[in-house]
Amino acid sequence: MDQLVFLILSIISIGAALAVIFSKNPVYSVLFLILTFFSIAGHYVLLNAQFLFIVHIIVYAGAIMVLFLFVIMLLNLNKTNETSKSMLPKIAGAISGGLLLIVLLGAVKGLNQAEASQAVNADMGSVKNLGKILFSEYLLPFEVSSALFLSAMIGAVMLGKKNLKDH
Amino acid sequence: MKTLILTALLGIVSMLSEIFGFRKYLWTILVLGLTGVFCVNLSELTSAYQYFPNMVVFDHYAGVFSGLIILMALVWFFISKDQYDSNEFNQADHYSLIMFALTGTIVLVSFTHLAMLFLGIEILSIPMFILAGSRKHELSSNEASLKYFIMGAFASGILLFGIALLYGATGTFNIHEIALIASNNSGSVSILFYTGIFMVMIGLAFKVSAVPFHFWTPDVYEGSPLVITAFMATIVKTAAFAAFYRLFNTTFAPLIHQWGSTLSVIIIFTILTGNILAVYQTSVKRMLAYSGIAQAGYMLMTILLTTYESQNALILYTSSYALSTLCAFAVLHYVVKIKGSDTFESFSGLGKSHPLLAVIMVISMLSLAGIPPAVGFFAKFYLFSAVLQQGYLALVIVAVLGSLISVYYYFRVIISMYSGESETESIQLTVINKAVLVLIGCLIILLGVTPGLFIDAIKSLT
Repeated sequence: MDQLVFLILSIISIGAALAVIFSKNPVYSVLFLILTFFSIAGHYVLLNAQFLFIVHIIVYAGAIMVLFLFVIMLLNLNKTNETSKSMLPKIAGAISGGLLLIVLLGAVKGLNQAEASQAVNADMGSVKNLGKILFSEYLLPFEVSSALFLSAMIGAVMLGKKNLKDH
Repeated sequence: MKTLILTALLGIVSMLSEIFGFRKYLWTILVLGLTGVFCVNLSELTSAYQYFPNMVVFDHYAGVFSGLIILMALVWFFISKDQYDSNEFNQADHYSLIMFALTGTIVLVSFTHLAMLFLGIEILSIPMFILAGSRKHELSSNEASLKYFIMGAFASGILLFGIALLYGATGTFNIHEIALIASNNSGSVSILFYTGIFMVMIGLAFKVSAVPFHFWTPDVYEGSPLVITAFMATIVKTAAFAAFYRLFNTTFAPLIHQWGSTLSVIIIFTILTGNILAVYQTSVKRMLAYSGIAQAGYMLMTILLTTYESQNALILYTSSYALSTLCAFAVLHYVVKIKGSDTFESFSGLGKSHPLLAVIMVISMLSLAGIPPAVGFFAKFYLFSAVLQQGYLALVIVAVLGSLISVYYYFRVIISMYSGESETESIQLTVINKAVLVLIGCLIILLGVTPGLFIDAIKSLT
């Protein structure tokens, strides 16, 4: 059962991800991206990571993607005015991406099944455990990340407001 | 730990200065605060108690690097003061972003947990993305910010993927535990581990702008406001190298036969590409960007060394590079103010009109090129001899060749300063600015003349 769900979710996420790249219309791309996020959230449920599942849906599929969609529609980017690019970057990208794929496939294939499952504690991703670990072992990174969010916030305000000189 | 908390607090103070209206005194508060942090950092060097030992460790390595970074930040505050006094930028926002970036550097020099490494890189990068684009009406500044952001986000993604693979291979994020696993079964580590190492290497190589991950550097350095470029080229680079070295030289050292040759290739390409492309530049700012790439190649060589000397070599080289580059940017900052452009031609006649600036520039160029009285020579000498002892003959040959090429473009600045007519336009430097410039100039010479003092000081710490 698990395996079947996993297979279906994987096919959806890979197919949707490909559709994101190949759609000519940016709005379709964004919609497919939302589908990708939902199917990846499904994987989190399979891995018993409930908190990650909820956050992923609320933050990515909910907030960020809706914002994306708004921006694309407001800026009227849904016209297909794709300029023709030269082939060289495409070929270079395909080669380097393909090499990365080979390396990753090799790495996963060489992996020993028993080795892969040993470290996993089935209950690790539950909300309760995550909360406990965030406020005990991971307290420092949790607090330090506030500096990250503060600077991102200041940056948004700074880039948004007018310079002193302009007044 | 106190260093980390205090720098973050100074960032919050800068944010509040706008609300409570003490923006006029902000610069003074921050300079005094940073001086205080420097003293606290010194006291922390000798204290044995560690907070959150699983996440960060404030050992001597972290202490020396955070001391160096705070010192450079202090100098940066003196250099950039007039830029912010002219009301061109929103001073409080800039200063708080700078302080948060410094928080990121402190995390980067002290991490022992891969989550902290990632957080440190992000805390350092995000303020830089924003500051690079702080000239909002200039197209080049917008381009710099966007380019830096997109490439940087991509590199962070690769780094994060690498960290995830490392966790998959070892089941831990702690670098000491990973090192233990790597050294206990260095022959039979899972192949995921290697893939993880290479992805982490790519992510960090981007941050230190090593070839072939350097394409963002010249454009971002050129488009950003000059004081921000100075910050990026010195403080950000020093912190990134401290992190790179700590991760690779302590954690992944047992597996050096796997990643060593890849890093050697990166080093050779970095040194050659940086030096050769720097020759063709017409803008001094862009030349310094390429020189930064080339110097990154030399600093990467320390990561290959397995002897105890490698740490001294890294500290010596980064401090020599960072001090000299900061000096060069300071002079460039004044030259741009006088002439309004940053080409080699705008330096002509500087030797007659502003002898002090010219002498400081000569010192920093000599140091970057590695010519004896300055510290750059000794740093290069120490590094190359250590690398030679490890048997990397080809690397040293390439490095020496690169240094020879570099003499050409560093001397181009000196020659253009002492030839050509001096112009009537001039700039009055304040006494403090002169004092700071003279102080770093003397430091560069002093460290070059009596390098033993510096080495002994580091050795007594480590």
